[in-house]
Amino acid sequence: MLGFIRQSIALSGANLRSLPRRAWISLSMVLSVTLVVLVLLGFLAMANGFRKTLSATGSEDVALVLSRGAFSEALSRIGTQQGHLIEEAPGIARTNEGAPLISRELVVPVDAVAQDGGKNETLSLRGISANGLALRPGLQISAGRMMTPGTAEIVIGARLAARYEDLNLGDTISFGRSQWTVVGHFTAGGSVFESELLADAGLVQAQFNRPNQIQSLRVRLEDPAAFDRFSAYVDGLDLGLLAQSEKAFYAAQASDISRIILFLGWPLAIVMAIGAAVGAMTTMYSSVSDRMVEIATVRALGFSRSAAFVATLVEALTLTLIGCAIGVALAWVGLDGWSASTKSGANAQLAFQLALSWPQALSAVVLALGIGALGGGLPALRATRVPLRAAMSGRA
Amino acid sequence: MTSVSYDIELNGVYKSYPLGKSRIPIFEDLTMTIPDGDFLAIMGPSGSGKSTILNLIGGIDTVVRGHVSIGGSMLDKMSTRALTRWRSEVIGFVFQFYNLMPMLSAAQNVELPLLLTDLSAAERRERVHTILDIVGLADRHDHLPSLLSGGQQQRVGIARAIASDPRILLCDEPTGDLDRKSADEILELLQLLNTKLGKTIIMVTHDESSTRVAKRTVILDKGRFVSEEIAQCA
Repeated sequence: MLGFIRQSIALSGANLRSLPRRAWISLSMVLSVTLVVLVLLGFLAMANGFRKTLSATGSEDVALVLSRGAFSEALSRIGTQQGHLIEEAPGIARTNEGAPLISRELVVPVDAVAQDGGKNETLSLRGISANGLALRPGLQISAGRMMTPGTAEIVIGARLAARYEDLNLGDTISFGRSQWTVVGHFTAGGSVFESELLADAGLVQAQFNRPNQIQSLRVRLEDPAAFDRFSAYVDGLDLGLLAQSEKAFYAAQASDISRIILFLGWPLAIVMAIGAAVGAMTTMYSSVSDRMVEIATVRALGFSRSAAFVATLVEALTLTLIGCAIGVALAWVGLDGWSASTKSGANAQLAFQLALSWPQALSAVVLALGIGALGGGLPALRATRVPLRAAMSGRA
Repeated sequence: MTSVSYDIELNGVYKSYPLGKSRIPIFEDLTMTIPDGDFLAIMGPSGSGKSTILNLIGGIDTVVRGHVSIGGSMLDKMSTRALTRWRSEVIGFVFQFYNLMPMLSAAQNVELPLLLTDLSAAERRERVHTILDIVGLADRHDHLPSLLSGGQQQRVGIARAIASDPRILLCDEPTGDLDRKSADEILELLQLLNTKLGKTIIMVTHDESSTRVAKRTVILDKGRFVSEEIAQCA
């Protein structure tokens, strides 16, 4: 066993040191693996970043009431009378004056001009009640001030402010039938809320011709444990409404959309990986051919077939791991923290940051090792079958 | 190992190679004996079977019929694994084009066969140093083959061949790629290994003048020995 290890190390070392002889084809193998890893990590980072953004959104002690069966707020409709009935539910936190902490909300799509490219893109303008801010404890004004209820003022998520025209403090922008003045920018702990524009719900209803229309009710509960009582009450009303914890609502959305991203990402990465493995195989066959006399010579000296196999496989795995390391490094430098956006359920832009993690990097390493094993395996077998007579006949 | 006589015997050897759909016979009934300690030069035209004899004795090719026996070991009866091990202990190869690992230093090349032994790293270093000294390359220890002349590379090749102290050296045109002066130095070295260390040497050559260091010279043509010359004083 010791002899086999010594032989394998010696042959592997010799192989690796001979790589400069095959610099270009080896480099092409490294780069193809880098590309596969970059694509895979791009998708994984996208899914992870999206999930992180949505999972940072929502509280356990805030309940969201939507029409039963509505996947998103845009598909939900709640009547004014239904809203009044919900206000009587048990478990709702109340102000010192005894008023329920409820925000009647609606989201309307509005167009804004992207600074990058000048194209019109759809954003979400959310109308909220006066209590709406109290239901978003993570929301903080980062510049300017909060809007004044009853006026055509809006506050903008900080992520959007930098990406669209006319969203700077003091700017006036046309949405619906009126002009809105930007009075503040806010952050919300990296949550979905940062991709929204907030305005007074009554004004949004009026300006967008949606009188008395409510899509969702946000309800502050006394504590997370009060959710069951609240939910049972909503079910008992039999109004076709469903209460969910805000946290659970966004987690479900995150799960669905991440699954779609991964559903696209993994197959694409695997198809590319198969291509890279074929390229690796070509490279490694070329390597075995290049080292034919050397392999035959050491075999004639008494080195085992297994050592010749291992040495070729080690070369393949080393090249793929180098490609993988470069891919992971480039992804970490270039993709991690990179801002992206996608369409939310309301067909509006939802900004998030790509996020890489060590388990994802490990996935890339496993994929690269798979490419190396697949691409190096057959050539390694070929190395074990090099005719020893080649040692006698060829120039080294 | 020294107590065993490593006589080489080829008995009724039939060997052929495929050529298209048919097979071309190289040897049809070759029988020869090479006694332990001999220095045999084999000459003959291309395709006469010179290198095939080396391949058969070295266990890197197999007979179709007949037997190859060395020191009582029947090569054709051995498994691939056993043959590989046997070869590493008994046979040393010297190649026409040296076949050195270009990315390894002279010392690392010589150390290669020692990796197959149980010697410790320190023992291997000591052995390599001694052998490079024997072949006159003590001061080229760390040189890559590309930094050595052809004659020096062949000396490294010989050092590698004798590193694990094999009984038999198989030399395939060892001076074929060298100028006259370097060739003479290599031949003297081989003669020294034969006379002083008792190595059995079988050397295939096209160069008649190289045969002067051999104890016997045989000429092979179409798979048959057509003449044999025994040196008067080797």
